[in-house]
Amino acid sequence: MNHLPQAWGRPRDDVYGAYDHSHFQTQLPNQHTQSPIVTGTSVVAAKFKDGVVIAADNLASYGSLARFTDVKRLRKFNDEVVVGFGGDVSDMQYLDRLLNSLDIRENYSNNENPLHAKNLHTYLAKVMYKRRSDFDPLWNHLLVTGLDGEKKPFLASVDLLGTTFSSPTLATGFGAHLAQPILRRTIPDEDAVANVSQEEAVKLVQECMKVLFYRDARSMDKYSIAVITTSGVELKQDEKLENQSWAFAERIRGYGTQVN
Amino acid sequence: MDSLVAQYSRPAHADEGQSPEEQLELLQVTPELSLKFALPPVSQSSSWLRAMTDDYSNPNCPIKIAHGTTTLAFRFQGGIIVATDSRATAGNWIASQTVKKVIEINNCLLGTMAGGAADCQYWLAYLGMQCRLHELRHKRRISVAAASKILANLVYSYKGMGLSMGTMCAGVTPQEGPALYYIDSDGTRLAGNLFCVGSGQTFAYGVLDAQYKYDLTDEEALELGRRSILAATHRDAYSGGFINLYHVKEDGWVKHGFNDTNPIFWETKLNKGEFSNVTAEME
Amino acid sequence: MAAIFSGAPPQGGPGYSFNQTPRTAPSGLRQHHGFYPYTDNGGSTLGISGADFTILAGDTRSTSGYNINTRYAPKLFKIGGEGPDNKNARIVLSVVGFAADGDALKERLDTIVKMYKYQHGKEMSVAACAQRLSHILYNKRFFPYYVHAILGGLDEEGRGALYSYDPVGSYEREQCRAAGAAASLIMPFLDNQVNFKNQYEPGSGTGHDLQAKVAAPLPRDTVEELVRDAFTSAVERHIEVGDGLQMMIITRDGIQETLTPLKQD
Repeated sequence: MNHLPQAWGRPRDDVYGAYDHSHFQTQLPNQHTQSPIVTGTSVVAAKFKDGVVIAADNLASYGSLARFTDVKRLRKFNDEVVVGFGGDVSDMQYLDRLLNSLDIRENYSNNENPLHAKNLHTYLAKVMYKRRSDFDPLWNHLLVTGLDGEKKPFLASVDLLGTTFSSPTLATGFGAHLAQPILRRTIPDEDAVANVSQEEAVKLVQECMKVLFYRDARSMDKYSIAVITTSGVELKQDEKLENQSWAFAERIRGYGTQVN
Repeated sequence: MDSLVAQYSRPAHADEGQSPEEQLELLQVTPELSLKFALPPVSQSSSWLRAMTDDYSNPNCPIKIAHGTTTLAFRFQGGIIVATDSRATAGNWIASQTVKKVIEINNCLLGTMAGGAADCQYWLAYLGMQCRLHELRHKRRISVAAASKILANLVYSYKGMGLSMGTMCAGVTPQEGPALYYIDSDGTRLAGNLFCVGSGQTFAYGVLDAQYKYDLTDEEALELGRRSILAATHRDAYSGGFINLYHVKEDGWVKHGFNDTNPIFWETKLNKGEFSNVTAEME
Repeated sequence: MAAIFSGAPPQGGPGYSFNQTPRTAPSGLRQHHGFYPYTDNGGSTLGISGADFTILAGDTRSTSGYNINTRYAPKLFKIGGEGPDNKNARIVLSVVGFAADGDALKERLDTIVKMYKYQHGKEMSVAACAQRLSHILYNKRFFPYYVHAILGGLDEEGRGALYSYDPVGSYEREQCRAAGAAASLIMPFLDNQVNFKNQYEPGSGTGHDLQAKVAAPLPRDTVEELVRDAFTSAVERHIEVGDGLQMMIITRDGIQETLTPLKQD
């Protein structure tokens, strides 16, 4: 223990070695599993009157390279749950296997009460928090969508630290900056959800995917979209962005080699 | 072969989340004061912990632990005086002005708190438990020497892990008389007449050394303890709040108040003419 | 928050310990972790105890950086009682800091308090629960929960009881405590309004004649107003505070929960 008045009670350098700032650094030599390699970008989701809509594009990037253009990042768990994955693709595939084995076990044990979205969200939150506590995180940001135990729309998120939160609209990654404000304009709070129809919600999310494609350099115009209602999951995996308008591009100034 | 097959045929979900043992542990109500601690799963865990919590080397560290103190204790003919301030600081933020830094281990043993507040609270509570067990096993009160040694050996076993405590054990027993020990998280254990511990120790020593003699009366001794802490709260920014005063006698300790420093300061200045560096004039 | 004055002598200056101060970090096998296991989800909490009640309050915003994760993420949790929605609970825990650690802490304490009731056939007292919470936090001394916890309830005599904690479990019973992002904005206000710091008896004179006003437990409606004022003011001056104000008032009759809107900007 240090006995110099200002430093009193703090660790002494000759016992502990000099203060090591590198524990805060995020670059420098990394173990491979300690940072994402092949990544997926945003996932966007919104609740509506009687369900939830979720979308994510089909791209897996390798750094700035658009490496795999046909990776499906929405996973149907059962007839009332869909999980959307952002972040590392290998960890996504691991979680996919994990959910598979969980599903098999559930189907063997009881068919009465299948896991609903809230159950699955709790389970994934525990898995993610345990992994972060072991310093071996699954480098993903997940959105869990579907119906809860009372067949009400459910939408919540889990990230690589195990942080969980729920909101009428959610978006991960770049979407948190670009899509979330657009979504919140139509669905500012839980009360507004009741006034939004399925068509409106789908159109809203499609609009967000378009905006993301305009400005997120790691995004693509092919995407998957799922709608979860009491009548089941409607998952489309090969959608293409319609009615793109790049007119705004002309007005962009200040990048690249242009002179004025 | 079977185990090999079992290893690879086990479903993925079996390895995720809390293991059954860990889940059981979460439910356990009984082991309250345990020696089992969760360690960060990094190879240099003490270095990692220091990076997260040492607000002196890195004022931007995320977790700021309460620190900063003046505590003193001294032996005299009438027993032992124990006095502390009551301020806890986390970085430059005063986390509390009302910390009880004298910890009542049992009705005749006192410990003082300096360094990490949680470390002192936890380990002195643990010491209290050990002292009680000693009483039950041996049918007599534990000596201060033995009690302080339990604590010293304990913290020594955690040396280098990042504990931070500077504590004094004070007690009066028939076989020892008034006994006072200093123990810190380096594992140091010293017997002595007089100790000051904490960021304000130098200021307290200044006053205490000048006036101290073993033959002090009870009244003089209490006043000296109070005055030494007052000097430290005046000059050390990390000390302040209230003055906590205890007198340990053979039949147990007596509390002599938990008093705000501010009125005591003005009383000392205006009525005794001390602190003449401070002006009392108002414009 | 950048410190204006750190109090630290120049690093790399003359060594102040007995041996030559090492200038390099400890060597040896060392995994370089790019992973930092904590984050700060912002927000603020506050608790005040009265003669026969305790109020805990917290805003409901959850942030990461400059983003608002959600406008409704409660920081107040009922502890004990029956079932998953803690019916008839008499203890409230508030946590602010890293939300995932906060949730983990809440669940551990809740499980323990419920198990206590099954094993002993009676409710856990607030004092026991407070000490247990301290031990839970201290059990993670070397890998701390990044949270500031406040625990509220009624003590054995029916008076308001409020305990506040640091991240590694040092705790203290207090009249009032603010924690989290806006603690430095709210706490001085509470010092003045609850503990009457820097308030003097009117007409007691000037200068050294001034008599400090003595703090006494406040009535419930006054405390509720104080809590509201504290939060509306914090919302004005701290970006991580806002959206909603969740309050739990613990009285002899149980826990009364209210949710009122705060500014969403």
